[in-house]
Amino acid sequence: MTDMTQLAPGHWTHGDLPTNVRVGPNSMITGDLAFKRFFSRRDPALIIGAHSTMEGVHFALGEAAQVEIGDYCYFTDAVLLCELELRIGSYVVLGWNVTLADTDFHPVAPALRIADAIACSPLGKGRPRPAIMRQPIIIEDDVWIGPSATILKGVRIGAGAFVEAGALVTHDVPPRARVIGNPAQIIGQV
Amino acid sequence: MRTGRTLSWDWYPGTIPANVRIDESAYVETSFSFVLYRSEVPVGVQIGCGSATYSGTMFDVGPHGRVLIADYVLVNGVRFICDAEVEIGDYTFLSWNVVLMDTYRVPLDPFARRRELKRAVGRHPRRIEAQVPAQPIRIGRAAWLGFDVCVLPGVTIGEGAIVGARSVVAGDVPPYTVVAGNPARVVRRLSTEEINYGR
Repeated sequence: MTDMTQLAPGHWTHGDLPTNVRVGPNSMITGDLAFKRFFSRRDPALIIGAHSTMEGVHFALGEAAQVEIGDYCYFTDAVLLCELELRIGSYVVLGWNVTLADTDFHPVAPALRIADAIACSPLGKGRPRPAIMRQPIIIEDDVWIGPSATILKGVRIGAGAFVEAGALVTHDVPPRARVIGNPAQIIGQV
Repeated sequence: MRTGRTLSWDWYPGTIPANVRIDESAYVETSFSFVLYRSEVPVGVQIGCGSATYSGTMFDVGPHGRVLIADYVLVNGVRFICDAEVEIGDYTFLSWNVVLMDTYRVPLDPFARRRELKRAVGRHPRRIEAQVPAQPIRIGRAAWLGFDVCVLPGVTIGEGAIVGARSVVAGDVPPYTVVAGNPARVVRRLSTEEINYGR
């Protein structure tokens, strides 16, 4: 068992962490854009465990978003788009330019999309946006996700799974499966 | 004080590593492309005459890695993840956000990966660099890779081939074919007329 008191406290290299962010010992966040799109009002909104490395990650969290990341994770220039919940285990690697999105961003029905277009426009100030599909993403322990891969809403990636570079994952991935493609398909086990 | 070669037009206060050989007619937009570079071989990156590497290009090259860029190659923002060798032939176009990886840098086995992640945090700077086998990538002359393309370890792309945007290339691409998709498959072959046009 590591003596946590001996470790440097978690920090962000480019400034003071937002007050609703908890970062465990020996974890670090780098990059000046890390919290540029961080709007969550949850407390805590972002929890990161110990010994994790977040290099150039964008934490784009909407007002109600909550993100939990475990220990010994290593993310490189990943984009976390969250309106609801991302739950990421320990020993998870996200390669360069990986995108996670737990939302569709806009409604599916055209009439609702028109209402959303107006609400999002410069003329829509104060107008409420329609409900938008959001489903949590769960990434279990020991998952590896390669560069430029995309994980969409509602997906659970099982422990130890290996997601190849550029894969677009729309459905659950069983533990230890190796997947590739758009949409991602199982090509083997690790 | 900065020692070593600098680029007079550079926005980044870095230098070009000593074992990078750039032809005097070639253009390198920024030394920022070398912040992850740590090759120790005699020539870790070679850039031939008339070739250009623009912003967004990153040479993430390990101690034994070697990137060979021949002549008149356009490297318009490419991520090289190289622990063995990545070779690009003359007159090839590489678009933005292309990833050329000759290694996964991690073991496929989840528990071996766990050990590597524990080691990675102990390095200064932090880095994942497990000793896993790397398999060279070779791209023939006059090939053309669209934007966001990923090329996986061990892949050879033949002369004159075209890889559609956002494709993921997991297997070899025959010369003079057009491939697309994720994973990429052959969409068509260039006609003899196309191949010989203007020759």
